[in-house]
Amino acid sequence: MSTPTITPYRSDQRPGSDDFPHLLRSEWTKFRSVRGWLIALIAAALLTALAVVAIASTANGKQNPGAHPTVAIGPGGVAVTDSFYFARQPLDGNGSITARVTSLADGELPGQGMGSSTHTAQPWAKAGIMIKASTTAGSAYAAVMVTPGHGVRMQWNFVHDLPGLPGTPSASSPRWLRLTRSGDTVTGYDSTDGTHWTEIGTASLAGLPHTAQAGLFAASPQYVVGAQGFANNNNQPTYDTRITGTFDHVSLVGARPGAAWTVGHVGFGTGPAVFAIGNGAPPVTHCGPNGTHCKGMPSPPQSRFTEAGGRFTLIGSGGDVAPYVADLDPLGIVLKGSAVGLLAVIALGALFITTEYRRGLIRTTFAASPRRGRVLAAKAIVIGSVTFVAGLVGTAVAMLIAERKLHSGGWVSSVYPVWALTSGHGLQIVLGTAGVLAVAAILALSAGAVLRRSAAAITAMVVLLIVPVILGVILPQSAAVWVLRLTPASAFGLQQGTPRYSQVMHACLPYNGCFPLAPWNGFIVACVWAVAALALAAYVLRRRDA
Amino acid sequence: MNTALGEATHAEWTKLRTVSSTGWLLLTMIVVTVGFSILEVVVQKCPTSCSYDTPKLSLTGILVGQAAAAVLAVLAVTGEYGSGMIRITLTAVPRRATALAAKAIVLTGVVLVTGTIAAAWSLIAGRYILPGNGFTGVRGSEVLSLSAGSTLRAAAGSVLYLALIALFSLGLATAIRDSGASIAVLLGLIYVVPLIVQFGILDPRWERHLEQWSPMNAGLAIQATRDLNTLPIGPWPGLGVLALWAFGALLLGGLLLRLRDA
Repeated sequence: MSTPTITPYRSDQRPGSDDFPHLLRSEWTKFRSVRGWLIALIAAALLTALAVVAIASTANGKQNPGAHPTVAIGPGGVAVTDSFYFARQPLDGNGSITARVTSLADGELPGQGMGSSTHTAQPWAKAGIMIKASTTAGSAYAAVMVTPGHGVRMQWNFVHDLPGLPGTPSASSPRWLRLTRSGDTVTGYDSTDGTHWTEIGTASLAGLPHTAQAGLFAASPQYVVGAQGFANNNNQPTYDTRITGTFDHVSLVGARPGAAWTVGHVGFGTGPAVFAIGNGAPPVTHCGPNGTHCKGMPSPPQSRFTEAGGRFTLIGSGGDVAPYVADLDPLGIVLKGSAVGLLAVIALGALFITTEYRRGLIRTTFAASPRRGRVLAAKAIVIGSVTFVAGLVGTAVAMLIAERKLHSGGWVSSVYPVWALTSGHGLQIVLGTAGVLAVAAILALSAGAVLRRSAAAITAMVVLLIVPVILGVILPQSAAVWVLRLTPASAFGLQQGTPRYSQVMHACLPYNGCFPLAPWNGFIVACVWAVAALALAAYVLRRRDA
Repeated sequence: MNTALGEATHAEWTKLRTVSSTGWLLLTMIVVTVGFSILEVVVQKCPTSCSYDTPKLSLTGILVGQAAAAVLAVLAVTGEYGSGMIRITLTAVPRRATALAAKAIVLTGVVLVTGTIAAAWSLIAGRYILPGNGFTGVRGSEVLSLSAGSTLRAAAGSVLYLALIALFSLGLATAIRDSGASIAVLLGLIYVVPLIVQFGILDPRWERHLEQWSPMNAGLAIQATRDLNTLPIGPWPGLGVLALWAFGALLLGGLLLRLRDA
């Protein structure tokens, strides 16, 4: 007798799989099926755009002198500081200039009370050789120079800067500098002995006229003491500095026979480039003892040129040959309006997990995929991605409109550029802001997993991301820069819209919307916070009961 | 006080003190307020900042501590909606205005007491740390003393500020009912305007209006003790603006509480 075999029940459904793509899909389903969250996501993009545009519309540049400073315009339309002391001769066609620098001394002008502690008054003071299209401020140039703090540099057309030999020159260790012109191309060299030359770089100066000016130059920007205080009590004392360069073995190949040196200031008291606010020294109607050089033209004090037996001494005080760097950052400040979208994103990130705790769904989630760390990772990817996309859309729209509003509101584009969305800097701002929103959402998710309460998690995130920017203005600068370096709010530095250059000393005041860390470094700080928070959340999720 | 309100207040007090988050939030409020106040007075040095408003410096922490007061107030009402407790509360106290008033009374009391402790410790820290940083009364600096009327006003006003922020939060949370949404909206209203106006790039007219009407900028005017004529809004009118916000939020919350099902 045969007993009937009983087939145990087996579902026709294929066994569920807890592989990662499925986990992602389930988290995405959870997100998109809550109507309030979708509304909040769209609101985050909309509010970001609306707030930024509203702020840009009221950011009146016409009444703000910092919005339209008096500056020279260099090649490419950027605002520049172009005021320096220049001993020059005309150079017809191709040729070269060579000089040996045997000493470089820098310091503050006497009697200003900056204190003896400032050994190097201005690391970017400069003395060297230059070939320049004309003596008009803002005209094309290429130069090789020695600096007190950054060795030999080759710079051209204001924004370009390449390093040469390190160290400062002395009688025992001089620096030889050479510029060679061939058509529109100027090549810079340096050497320690005058026989073995190293090429530093090649500058292409479009439209360099047949007759250019070649010679020795010196400039020493003002030293700006950053200071910021409580309750609008901000000031930036500036001190005049000077640089003294001693040259010999000066030779000009291609110079006119018998031509003499013409000595004078470029850019001080001439035309629209009176003096550049911020980097330059104000013109003082007072000439040095050898007053013939600055007759009838206001000049900064203390500049000198002397020649004795082939030995040239050039003292430059004030001025600079560099891009103009504005203290203000209107676009970066206006983009702080994204804080409204940030709040929505923070709320979303926190609610994405705290709601599961409140409804008990978390137990189902962990029953379906028992590996809790992977659930957290899937949640982080989903919430990070959707907030990134929302941020991208919101910021792109905001940027497009806000930049034009600022421009028409009186913020001149030579100083505060209108970045195209596809330009490198435009991409940095848009991708950066979207990235900050995504990182904030992941931080909020982690905080939600640890604290399990949406109110506590959201508040903690606001204190970490928004309050530091407010404290950055209230605290004195020494403390403010640390708050803005250590908190994830440092990532907002990515929104900086005013270009900064490493070859221009700039007082970075949080009060002016400046963040102390380099933009992407600030973003890395925020990412480190997010990774640490995720790790803590994963640990806590595994340890605690759901 | 009628007995209904008295009993409702007693019930609210029992609820508030038996929730574990209350103690933590009040502790956080004190620690954060005093901590940030100490940070501010430690880093301010007189040679550069002698002319600063020392009472205001010593009470800087209120700016951060208010977040804890806001969370406490939000949870006091949204917690009940989350757990369904609100239906029991309204069954016991059917007059909804009375229920909300009882919550407001208890919350105000708790925040006033905690805020006094926080403000007192902040001032004590300023009193003993600032002279060491050069704020010794010379070169225009002031030594903190509660005997100065304006310092007492700044300190007491800061405590009132915290209570008004709590009431503002309570009203808004009653209207919104969800803790996450309430706190996000609240912190936005409190912090976003100061974040934008502080950089000083707005049209001066707009900036002045925003400072006069934003809950935090106007409310914290109560901390100023010098150069009062340069402020966008005076100390007491400023606190009055925040009181208007709180009153408006409570009115809205109370109205919605009355009109909607729990």
